[in-house]
Amino acid sequence: MNWKVGFIVCAVAACVVPFVSPNYMLTVIIEALIFGLFAMSLDLLVGYTRLYSFGHVAAYGLGAYTSALLLLHFNLPLPVTIVLAVAISTAIATPIAWVCTRTHGVSFAMLTLAFAQLGYAMIYRFKDFTGGSDGLTGIPRPEGPFGLDFFQSKIGYFYMVLFCLLGSFLLCRALVNSPFGTVLSGIRENEAKTAALGYNTRAYKRVIVILAYAFGSLAGALYAPFAGFASPELFFWLISGTVLIMVIVGGSGTLIGPIIGGVFFLMLENQLSEVTDLWPLIFGSVFIAFVMLAPQGIWGILTARFKKPAVLPQGGADGETTSAPS
Amino acid sequence: MPLLECRGLTRRFGALVAVDSVDMTVEPGEIRAVIGPNGAGKSTLFNVITGVLAASDGEAFFMDQNITGLPVEQVVQKGISRTFQLTHLFPELTARENVRISAQARQPGRWTMLGGAQVLQESTTQADQALERLHLSRFADVPANMLSHGDQRLLEIAMAVSQAPKLLMLDEPTQGLSIEETDRAVTILRDMLSDGDLTVVLVEHDMEVVFKLAHRITVLHQGRVIADDTPDKVKESNEVQQAYLGGFE
Repeated sequence: MNWKVGFIVCAVAACVVPFVSPNYMLTVIIEALIFGLFAMSLDLLVGYTRLYSFGHVAAYGLGAYTSALLLLHFNLPLPVTIVLAVAISTAIATPIAWVCTRTHGVSFAMLTLAFAQLGYAMIYRFKDFTGGSDGLTGIPRPEGPFGLDFFQSKIGYFYMVLFCLLGSFLLCRALVNSPFGTVLSGIRENEAKTAALGYNTRAYKRVIVILAYAFGSLAGALYAPFAGFASPELFFWLISGTVLIMVIVGGSGTLIGPIIGGVFFLMLENQLSEVTDLWPLIFGSVFIAFVMLAPQGIWGILTARFKKPAVLPQGGADGETTSAPS
Repeated sequence: MPLLECRGLTRRFGALVAVDSVDMTVEPGEIRAVIGPNGAGKSTLFNVITGVLAASDGEAFFMDQNITGLPVEQVVQKGISRTFQLTHLFPELTARENVRISAQARQPGRWTMLGGAQVLQESTTQADQALERLHLSRFADVPANMLSHGDQRLLEIAMAVSQAPKLLMLDEPTQGLSIEETDRAVTILRDMLSDGDLTVVLVEHDMEVVFKLAHRITVLHQGRVIADDTPDKVKESNEVQQAYLGGFE
């Protein structure tokens, strides 16, 4: 029950943000929340299944370009477009997941990277359709359905993003705690054993890659209409690395940690880039510091004091007589 | 109807014939030991039966169904659960969660993605029962990597038992255990097997363990079956004595 209270407190606190933050900050905050959602989607792979994707930007770019193209060509209501964009991206992710999960470890990382690069290349190749290096501009935010238009304002858009983030968090949380999710933790710990216990591990991995793409594409689909443009940068491989760093610094395998990591880094980047051009240097240093000193990440540090360390019951291996009911 | 039947099961690695046309029949309720010197092909035989390795020749039948060439996870779904010679666990998860994930594998609801409280509940109950059977209840909430080697071996058996298998295959359950740990493990195993609800095939090096547990023994030597009989007869067999036992009394 405890987490529910925390969740509600955070949600309410987040709802107040637009009223206390200056207008220009709200733009950064919305982008940060979108990136938090993106990082959380990668955590499904990295933190829960130990599948290191080096090409998660593909999900982001796919969602962004799909929603941008849908809006430019069909002008459907924005929420409908976002749902459609996620559905289409997920469909495209299905064969990608099928291929990638035939491999393990480094090969998996390289294949995901390859697919992301393929997306990047295709943006340039199909220039007439995607706008090439100019990207797509003038993406509208059509109103509807039922005359809904709150998302046309920045504050309204903030609430829509927040709603998507919190909703996705609840879905992902239920997912990782479900019977399906516990199998993922088995794959993370020991895939061979999980298979030997009777699970078709490849099928489980395929599904989680598809789902990670789905949530990642939601982040992309939210970004393009907000920014009003989509550029090939949204498929650039560096973002895959950045988001991986966000997951690790935030605390992988926690869902909430990567959201914090994503928000933290975007805010940090925004603040630092005003002061110095050398902010990537600080970005890198923060990452190194976390890997060396706090591999459990920000969320791990925050929750460490509430965690009871596991203790081996006394009596040891031979302590038959000390057997106590569980 | 025999529970498990191997007919001419063979596995070659290049020129080496690790398992050489093995015939073996295991009846329901039996405790069968497979023994033999190092490199006799015991673990390979296990791996071929359970689908970890493909058979080069021959067939394996489980309850009259041909299981040769089935992938590992489907063999388990038929009702064969196994442990490994080298301990295979989920090190960071608690003992209970290790066993629970195992128990869940045989449940139709294992794919449930949202909710699934009932599946989790049922598998937890099965896990707690299996932990109890292996005397591990007090370690339920301890991460598997904190357990002693002996308890880890038992935990892996608990994982297999939690699946309520029709056939339980144990690959050297006492491997790497001290004499005291082995005694304790054997006591626990005997206790567990006394319920008579399990059919077991076990590979074991320790002859004392074998003679304490097994109803029937299959002796492998260089991949071939050189004896298949009751423990007493196997002890008396000259061929077995020469090949392996080296005058064990």
